Amino acid sequence: MTTAPTGTKQSTTLAVEPEPGRRKLSTAKAMQEAISQRMTRDESVFVMGEDVGPYGGIFSSTTGLIDRFGPERVIDTPISETAFIGLGIGAAVEGMRPVVELMFADFFGVCMDQIYNHMAKIHFESGGNVKVPMVLMTATGGGYSDGAQHSQCLWGTFAHLPGMKVVVPSNPYDAKGLMAAAIDSDDPVVFMFHKGIMGLGWMAKNNRAIGAVPEEEYIVPIGKARVAREGTDVTIVTLSLSVHHSLDVAEKLEAEGISVEVIDLRSLVPLDRDAIVRSVTKTGRLVVVDEDYQSFGLSGEVIAVVAEHDASLLTSVSRVCVPDVPIPYARELESIVLPTPARIEAAVREAVAR
Amino acid sequence: MTLSTTPELTEESRRSLLNTMVLIRTYEEAIRREYYADKMPAFDIGAGLVPGEMHLSAGQEPVAAGICAHLTADDALTATHRPHHVAIAKGVALRPMTAEIFGREDGFGHGRGGHMHLFDPSNHFSCSGIIAEGLPPALGQAFAFKRQGNNRVVVAVTGEGAANQGAFHESLNLAALWKLPVIFVVEDNDWGISVPRAGSTSVTSNAVRAAAYGMPGVRVEDNSVEAVYAAGGEAVARARAGGGPSLIEVHTLRLWGHFEGDAEGYRPELKSVPDHDPIPRYRDELLQAGGLSAEQFQTMQDRAVEQVEDAIQFAKASPAPNPSEHLNYVFSEGVNS
Amino acid sequence: MTDVRFPHMTTAEGATGVLVTWFVDSGDEVTPKTLIAEVAMDKVDAEVYPETSGTISLLVEEGAEVPQGSVIAQVN
Repeated sequence: MTTAPTGTKQSTTLAVEPEPGRRKLSTAKAMQEAISQRMTRDESVFVMGEDVGPYGGIFSSTTGLIDRFGPERVIDTPISETAFIGLGIGAAVEGMRPVVELMFADFFGVCMDQIYNHMAKIHFESGGNVKVPMVLMTATGGGYSDGAQHSQCLWGTFAHLPGMKVVVPSNPYDAKGLMAAAIDSDDPVVFMFHKGIMGLGWMAKNNRAIGAVPEEEYIVPIGKARVAREGTDVTIVTLSLSVHHSLDVAEKLEAEGISVEVIDLRSLVPLDRDAIVRSVTKTGRLVVVDEDYQSFGLSGEVIAVVAEHDASLLTSVSRVCVPDVPIPYARELESIVLPTPARIEAAVREAVAR
Repeated sequence: MTLSTTPELTEESRRSLLNTMVLIRTYEEAIRREYYADKMPAFDIGAGLVPGEMHLSAGQEPVAAGICAHLTADDALTATHRPHHVAIAKGVALRPMTAEIFGREDGFGHGRGGHMHLFDPSNHFSCSGIIAEGLPPALGQAFAFKRQGNNRVVVAVTGEGAANQGAFHESLNLAALWKLPVIFVVEDNDWGISVPRAGSTSVTSNAVRAAAYGMPGVRVEDNSVEAVYAAGGEAVARARAGGGPSLIEVHTLRLWGHFEGDAEGYRPELKSVPDHDPIPRYRDELLQAGGLSAEQFQTMQDRAVEQVEDAIQFAKASPAPNPSEHLNYVFSEGVNS
Repeated sequence: MTDVRFPHMTTAEGATGVLVTWFVDSGDEVTPKTLIAEVAMDKVDAEVYPETSGTISLLVEEGAEVPQGSVIAQVN
């Protein structure tokens, strides 16, 4: 509850989306680099969570940070998510910029009150007088048989509740720029990284999880979607790992003369409604691909955006989501419920056939 | 109790404790009056100038006065759904606080918060309507103060019912583990809404729960402001000196209902409750000890009424929030979704 | 020409690891500051940087199992 920052924050005017260059990183390393660069320039930034220290984050979000900044700024916590997320809130209120990790998004059940009743509402309840500049980063997603309590995306749940920005990167370049923007934000940001985009050696290979990342600091503005691939026949609106699957499908169908445009939302809150409408205005066909549960979530919201703008734009609408069932353990079952390339391809083919 | 760290109470500081208690009571009585003014004869919780739930703190003044006497505006305090007494004792300005309770534009939150969500950054005062969930942010304020290298402390107020919440236990452990400058104050007013302490709590004193987390804990038994002052002095001094957190449980009194409109049919001792009012008791103690004259007490009351009525007039004169601004303050940059 | 070797990650004789990720392609210019690869042995990861600057040629495929100490790339 102070208007003056406590850290030694310098001028934070950063480049916005510079050329990617040639140096390649994994998404995990890009996130680490963003956090490290912000910690270097701003002493009020610190990292806190379960196993973020010597372990480096279960999904490598914080690897190496403790070697560089020490245990005073890269802090392992007890398994007390309510206490340490709340601690992040209080520290943010007093001028610090915490980056707090919730190990799996699935664990929000043990700490949601701090997240949605406190982190997300204090700015509003205080009439804008108290800011909570905090990043809550968390791992999401399935595809490796981790079962119903460790595989969910859940971003629609967070986005449904007002007061938090919800950021979901799909690649190393965006992950670095969006993390820098999240740390800079005076509002709470939930930064949801899919395990499948991190470039981890111990998960299924995903070539798009390795990509060119500038060494310099830059931001990717929160709330702007990216046209990941231009096309004219069908619009796929998607995010996170599903962007990669959608691009794979688009490349495959190009050979058959089907032109697919892929919109990577990059954030749910704010939602880039203009980008969605712009693309569907061009293609008239919309496929929403979302690894979150189908009903009452992002996919319906995206379709509503277009329908409220001009329902007559839509000659075809469908969605490829997790049907309303918990994520199953067995590989044969999990691969059916996830938005796999095969399901996406079938949806696109059906769309162009109409 | 040996309390070498707590300053001896002078006649003046005793009067100051009483004065704080009188101001709080005057405030709560006035809010109660305004709250009911246009809700009767048939009670309608959403009607009137002060709508919604109203949790008043009459009877719990000794906790607020005794603890906050050791704090400055730079120290922080997190309160509960029943926050007025500690807000006033902490030094929160009555005008914007009252305007917020009335849902007016000049309130702390421009009418977005209400009586359970009062935020005064200049006093590092906040509250939360969720039981025990005000404690974790208090840890963070203490963490920031410790990092900033000053000797500021945080008081985290909660109730005896909240001591059965997970957030309470997580917070005690983490505060003790990291030696954070926090004073946990448990207001035991005997009742978790309608459930008596014996029906909710496995131990007779939450001081033993403090011991379970490796921090000093005391229970103040008799709702005495001077006993609270003594315990608070020791705990605040320990926190300022880098000695980490403490817990103080005060057996206090909920003079009125859980919220206004609560008929309290569950409370067998209802008729005798006013007999335990801590304010007449302390007033009489000071009058008898010679540290207070009847005239001084009258002046105290008159000044309290003046301040409180001024705040209520201010609130009533403040404009309603502009309905066209109903989307404001979700985010600092004005974008909602 | 200098060799880039799979790092020694254990004292065990003949231990093998996995070339997890190449961050460069053959023909890329590299310097000692260029992260060229991530390797793993027994769930422990290590980053690989070349000792000299020049044009790199990769000698093993991603995912290949490699004895520690063996040459995985050359810099010309």
